[in-house]
Amino acid sequence: MSGMNEIILEAKGIYKSFSGVPVLQDVHFDVRKGEVHALMGENGAGKSTLIKIITGVYSKDAGTIEWEGKPVEINNYQDCQKLGVACIYQELSVIPPLTVAQNVFLGREPRTFGLIDYAKMNRMTQELIDRYQFPLHPATLVENLGMGQRQLIEILKGLSQNSKLLIMDEPTASLSGKEAETLFHIIETLRSEGVSVIYISHRLEEVYRLSDRLTILRDGQNAAVLNREEIVPKKVIATMIGKIVDESAGSKKMLHSDDTAPVRLEVKDLTDPADRYRHISFQVHRGEILGLGGLIGAGRTEVVRAIYGVDKAKSGEVILDGQKMNPSPKTSIAAGIGFVPEDRRSQGFIPLLSTTRNIALTNYDIIRKKGAAVSYADELAMSKKAIKDIDIRPADPDKEVGVMSGGNQQKVVLGKWLMRDLKLLIVDEPTAGIDVGAKNEIYEILENLAKQGVAIILVSSDLQELIRVSHRILVMRKGDVVKEFKNEIVTQSRVLSAGQGILDEEEAQA
Amino acid sequence: MSGEKKTFSVSKYSKLIILAVFILALSILRPKAFLTVGNISNVLWSVSVIGIMVSGTIYVFLLGGIDLSIETLCGLTAVVIVEVVTHMGNSVGGVIVGILAALGVGALAGLLHGFVITKFKVPAFLVTFATQSVFLGLSMIITNNKIVSCTKPKLFTMIGSTWVSIILMVIIAAFSWFLLSRTVFGRRTYAVGGNATAAEISGINVAKNTILCYVISGLTTAIGGIVLASMTQQAMASTGSGYTNDVITAGVIGGVSLLGGQGTVQGAIFGAVLMGLLNNGLNLMSVPSTQAGLVKGIVIIVAVAFDAMQHADQSRKKVRKVVKKA
Repeated sequence: MSGMNEIILEAKGIYKSFSGVPVLQDVHFDVRKGEVHALMGENGAGKSTLIKIITGVYSKDAGTIEWEGKPVEINNYQDCQKLGVACIYQELSVIPPLTVAQNVFLGREPRTFGLIDYAKMNRMTQELIDRYQFPLHPATLVENLGMGQRQLIEILKGLSQNSKLLIMDEPTASLSGKEAETLFHIIETLRSEGVSVIYISHRLEEVYRLSDRLTILRDGQNAAVLNREEIVPKKVIATMIGKIVDESAGSKKMLHSDDTAPVRLEVKDLTDPADRYRHISFQVHRGEILGLGGLIGAGRTEVVRAIYGVDKAKSGEVILDGQKMNPSPKTSIAAGIGFVPEDRRSQGFIPLLSTTRNIALTNYDIIRKKGAAVSYADELAMSKKAIKDIDIRPADPDKEVGVMSGGNQQKVVLGKWLMRDLKLLIVDEPTAGIDVGAKNEIYEILENLAKQGVAIILVSSDLQELIRVSHRILVMRKGDVVKEFKNEIVTQSRVLSAGQGILDEEEAQA
Repeated sequence: MSGEKKTFSVSKYSKLIILAVFILALSILRPKAFLTVGNISNVLWSVSVIGIMVSGTIYVFLLGGIDLSIETLCGLTAVVIVEVVTHMGNSVGGVIVGILAALGVGALAGLLHGFVITKFKVPAFLVTFATQSVFLGLSMIITNNKIVSCTKPKLFTMIGSTWVSIILMVIIAAFSWFLLSRTVFGRRTYAVGGNATAAEISGINVAKNTILCYVISGLTTAIGGIVLASMTQQAMASTGSGYTNDVITAGVIGGVSLLGGQGTVQGAIFGAVLMGLLNNGLNLMSVPSTQAGLVKGIVIIVAVAFDAMQHADQSRKKVRKVVKKA
């Protein structure tokens, strides 16, 4: 790597806060020419915010950004492109009915006499493909390609604009193993051609494999910048989590679960038709909060969706209180299962409808009717009860849920289940994007439900939350349950290590 | 908080305010001609078909769907009832069979729309664009592309008479209002239109709900066709011509969002009545027909803008903000 120490991008002393809450504090980040620089940190550590500042999506409160040694102002994505920075987003912007070449040169088509010169365009695309060894053909229609190849087109598009720095945010999240392998090869080729890459990922194995350096953020601050030889799993995990024994922050807990309580839910050999999870078996007891840990994409959401019946499993059984279920949302609700989906805005509530209508949505079987008419009084009483029980704000039953804060929206989503006789509640990332106050209130709600005998499955990528709330923890990795933490001391690093596939019992902090 | 409450009540009555302004203006400008029972009933009669049809198509709009086949289905059902009545010797029994046949055709059309949209995930726009042509073709085949007329029996011609059609509109609108605002089905329709994924997760059978909405739309379109056939005492393939536009316009003027999830029956009826008043006013003011279209368009824009300003569409704006933040 000698002779490659020239710094291409340097962000210095970056500060950013959202409505008074500091998200980035004095963050320093630099990328050298021809290096793959990984960026890691737990959820909420500030990775995305930093990238959004670099690409001009957010403005910074303080700090400077230098490009090839000169200070620059990046106010939008166009500024970025002019400098030679390309961002490969998770949601791809390729246009399926067009060919690879048409996508690569979209809006910049080479012309002859004012007409698009397709021959030239295909030739130019082929040159790029050859240079970086992409497994693509210029004339293929994008609609015939898989996600991995579509992502490569985005990269190609960036390269065709002479980008010197590519930013990839969780690029392997939607790729198969083979597609990811192709991507890694391409990244290695790019590096040897002198292109720099910022690689954001939760997956340690990818970071070990690819990166020349690794910057770790923690709570909006620089935790470490590690060189290639320093990138060791234990060290990375310890750095991400911070002070090794910080019990006050809930990073360590003695788990207790009561096996004598009757089994509420039994899952037997559940297998996904698309192989996103396989042979999943576990039990949840009455009054138990079972945490499901693991990386995003490990199959946790898919498993709980199959238990509730939003998606169908290929095989396996779901047994609630001894009754074999044929899961569908309707039968699950009738049987006493509640489900809080992972993305509340797109799946959890109806933004245009009021708190009352949202709360009532799953409960018309228990709201009285006068003939065919729903009893307004009953409906309103239920809504007021929910508002009072879990302190939904504003305390206006007619308020449209779409205009409320994230925490209160989530309370509405939760609230409708609390109005029923619940046996099992499944919550998937229940506090994502919610302020600390509301988080704690939601934890209390879950704990109270458990005390009343409700079994709870909690899917969470927030390790602190997972450890604080769960009585027992299962960790999933690539579609399998790889670890159970039960009646033992659990730490964030143990959960994180298990999710990364490091099952070695010898712990970083031991 | 109190300020919020205040704007809320203005927004609640903004449609009534607009109506009052119209009625007041016309009463002052044309006191003798406008405020008579004859004229007012005439206005209501002229919009009764639109009012009846929009009372049902609103379900489709609430889902974020659209029905482009309204006018040709209206034509087809008009043709069906007239053909049945004439073939059954213009008897009372013929009228009853004819009504049932027309309603059956309407319901079947809705069933077809709903089924194709939910089963094959084809956009409503495309499905109804295609069936629009199918219904027109069927009418042409049945009538041999000629006008069929029917002036008997009395039971048939009565349906489209001034008071019967107004009362029909009121009953159908009231029924639709009840279904939409008071029953579980209505609640679910708003939920499906507002966020189909969340509705599905909440245990609602989205496909079943969607199909039902299209059936209701087909039924009211058929009733519109029956009334129209009776009003004109004839039917042909082009009988419903222009009604697709009118029904959508009435809905939109009445605050029904074509994106789904928002709108009320009373709003849609207001839209229809406003259109009637506008036509009547232009007529009474002797605005030449060459200029009427222009004036109509401008007045509608002003009225809709006023209504929209009152609602300020807070939620959607805020939603966008939140999405941007996230």
